[in-house]
Amino acid sequence: MIVSSDDIIIKTIARVFVPFIQIYALYVIMHGHYSPGGGFQGGVILGASMALLLITHGYDEVKRRFPENVVLLMGSVGVLIYAGIGLTCLLLGGNYLDYSQLSVILHVDPAHARSLGILGVELGVGFTVMAIMYSIFFDISTGGILPGDEKRKGELEDNG
Amino acid sequence: MNEFFVAVGLGLCLLVFLVLYRVIFGPGVFNRIAAISAIGTKTLIILLALGYAYNRVDMFIDISMVYALLNFIGCIAAAKYLEMER
Amino acid sequence: MAYILDALSILCLLGGLFFFMTATIGLLRFPDFFTRLHATGKGDTLAVFLCLIGFAIHEGLSLTALKIVVIAVFMFLAQPTATHAISRAGIRHGLKPWVKGEERQ
Repeated sequence: MIVSSDDIIIKTIARVFVPFIQIYALYVIMHGHYSPGGGFQGGVILGASMALLLITHGYDEVKRRFPENVVLLMGSVGVLIYAGIGLTCLLLGGNYLDYSQLSVILHVDPAHARSLGILGVELGVGFTVMAIMYSIFFDISTGGILPGDEKRKGELEDNG
Repeated sequence: MNEFFVAVGLGLCLLVFLVLYRVIFGPGVFNRIAAISAIGTKTLIILLALGYAYNRVDMFIDISMVYALLNFIGCIAAAKYLEMER
Repeated sequence: MAYILDALSILCLLGGLFFFMTATIGLLRFPDFFTRLHATGKGDTLAVFLCLIGFAIHEGLSLTALKIVVIAVFMFLAQPTATHAISRAGIRHGLKPWVKGEERQ
């Protein structure tokens, strides 16, 4: 169980900074073409912002914004976007992840279609990495047992 | 002008080696965490000076911003872990 | 005009380097953990701010200078908070401040 910090300075500064950190992570995802960045790095920064909120405000505050089933759902949605774009290119007559075939749907020339295809794939990777980073941090720090679930805790300790 | 910036970066590298003494020999874990935070702050400026050496500042600014973020979050996480009573 | 901007930038960078040097000497020579936190918490924050302002003045009015100013404002707010957090952890863990006449730690 992660308790909240009882100091008003740390809580206020963390609450001020978390939206700006998330906007910066979106910038890093979008600018993967031109500068160091891309999907994985932006996803790690997004996960770090959720970890900052979890450390300073405790689990009760984060539970309202990012409950446990939404975390697993977002991890799956990211993989769905990645594989979905690849399969769409396959269904339209090219190879797997051959983005130039997307120009049929989007009505742009193939060079633009490649750029947009990579952007979509990076977004999917970013979603998945954020969900998994949050899930790993939460499972390691509490042992995977949600507060209020004490009966299951007894079962797990019996089984070893 | 670029050579002056690189010289400042090299001077800061020397200061990082001096702070390493406190990381190795600091009695207890708290001295080591404070020294690591100081090294992280100096690394931020060394990265920007390296950007001036290669004449591509735009690339190194994003990297140094990420390093400042991770230094801050790491220090707060370590402080929360060490807060237990003796 | 260009000479004045260059001279201002060099002045800010030299001031930042001076404060880094005094903060490091303080981190090595002070007798206790809390006094060392004073040295590195205050000295490093001011030094980073001055160095980044020196870099931003050299760039002129562009997107790069705006990004450097954003990093400077972030460091100015975040570094004292980290120092505050770790000093609270030190007090709660049971470390005692140094009184004149004891030996160095």
